[in-house]
Amino acid sequence: MVKWLGVAGVLLSPLVLADPVLINGGTFKPPVLLDKERLSIEMESFMLDSTPVTNQEFLEFVIEQPQWQRDNIAALFHDGNYLKHWDNNTGFAKGKENEPVTYVSWFAAREYCSAQGGRLPSLNEWEYASVKYRQQQNISDDDYARNLFAWYSQPHSAKQQAVDPNADQLMHMHDRVNEWVDDYQLLLTNGDDVDLLSGSCGDGARFMSSFSNANYATFFRYQSRSDYAPQSATSTMGFRCAYDLENDHE
Amino acid sequence: MNKLLKLTALASLIFVAQSFAQDHSHHDMHKNQTANDHSNHTAMNAAEVSHSESVYQVDATWNTHKNSKLKLSELEGQPVIVSMIYGSCTTACPVLVHDVKRLYSKLDEDTKQQVKLVIVSFDTDRDTPEALADYVKQYQLNNDNWLFLNGSEQDIRTLATVLGVRYRQRPDGDFDHSNLITILDKQGLIVERIEGLSQPMEKPAKVVAKLVND
Repeated sequence: MVKWLGVAGVLLSPLVLADPVLINGGTFKPPVLLDKERLSIEMESFMLDSTPVTNQEFLEFVIEQPQWQRDNIAALFHDGNYLKHWDNNTGFAKGKENEPVTYVSWFAAREYCSAQGGRLPSLNEWEYASVKYRQQQNISDDDYARNLFAWYSQPHSAKQQAVDPNADQLMHMHDRVNEWVDDYQLLLTNGDDVDLLSGSCGDGARFMSSFSNANYATFFRYQSRSDYAPQSATSTMGFRCAYDLENDHE
Repeated sequence: MNKLLKLTALASLIFVAQSFAQDHSHHDMHKNQTANDHSNHTAMNAAEVSHSESVYQVDATWNTHKNSKLKLSELEGQPVIVSMIYGSCTTACPVLVHDVKRLYSKLDEDTKQQVKLVIVSFDTDRDTPEALADYVKQYQLNNDNWLFLNGSEQDIRTLATVLGVRYRQRPDGDFDHSNLITILDKQGLIVERIEGLSQPMEKPAKVVAKLVND
């Protein structure tokens, strides 16, 4: 709800903290195909947080909803590590305010977004936004691949860097934290026999649409996502929220 | 063709590399493939779940086919057999419901009185309480043990995740989903999972009977 006031406000004043940005709809060519018959997907426009959700933002959420504080969260919804980097239920070390929140389970991330009047982005939405981001930032395919692999080799140094809560464009899609998506558990190997292209897995044939470095880097992200359980709360996993557009201009 | 073969080879390489790099212990689970035979309906393997935490921690409010509100925690104190389907599904779903019915029919009269059969729909839009009531009528399930539930998209996804039921809506509006029947004990812990269609129900029936007496 809070965030939605912000979204209404952004039309008038661009200085509200970390307002979501508009991701214009268009054609998305998934780098990893979940449907053999769908080589491209028409995406609708939606809003996406410009940066990953920060410790400060998440703190405000757990203050309002104490059942999502560290000592109160239902055991079903985390793996025991939920917010373990915080000092207590409602506090973390000074200086961490603008760092992306981590040690949040998929359940908690969804609940946070729901409380903002949003939701987690779908996998396709997130990846579509990632493509847009690369275009906006003029990131070459090789740089993208190099940066992503660099992140995967040293994720801990990256996630401790702050984000700019005033960002007015899409930021930090690849250089802070891995991010939850709503339908991540539909992905590769999550509970499936790993039998690519044989068509014997539940989801049908799934494969990379082309074998460039950039696509391989992206595939790596798809793959690493599907290693998580919805209860996983880890040092490298954060999230940002998406918002349906139809709720916006009415 | 060559390109495809090359793709296969490359992709396999990636997976081989990947499987060395990750712990596969959590993939040790039901791998029943019998449900994959529907040409227009893809079964998705179920995901792993927690067996030590009650499903009733999901604090959602559902609409029943009798147009009443229900929290799953209200079912505490009796074993529950739960499955997830969507009403407009004509392939696996009727079979799943029939499977639940078969399991139920194998219980002795005493046990029958003490279990609830819960079917939760994936389809928040189309499976309204009225539509679910029609479904109950059509399949002649009209007895007090059955509960067909409609909920919000958010709550459906939460429950499905907790049960390890994977699903996704396809562009045509239908759903791909795991074919799974779950048996919950009196506290809402997952004690037995039956994956695939038309599975034998002798053992599950024994599990339910034992839960009643626990």
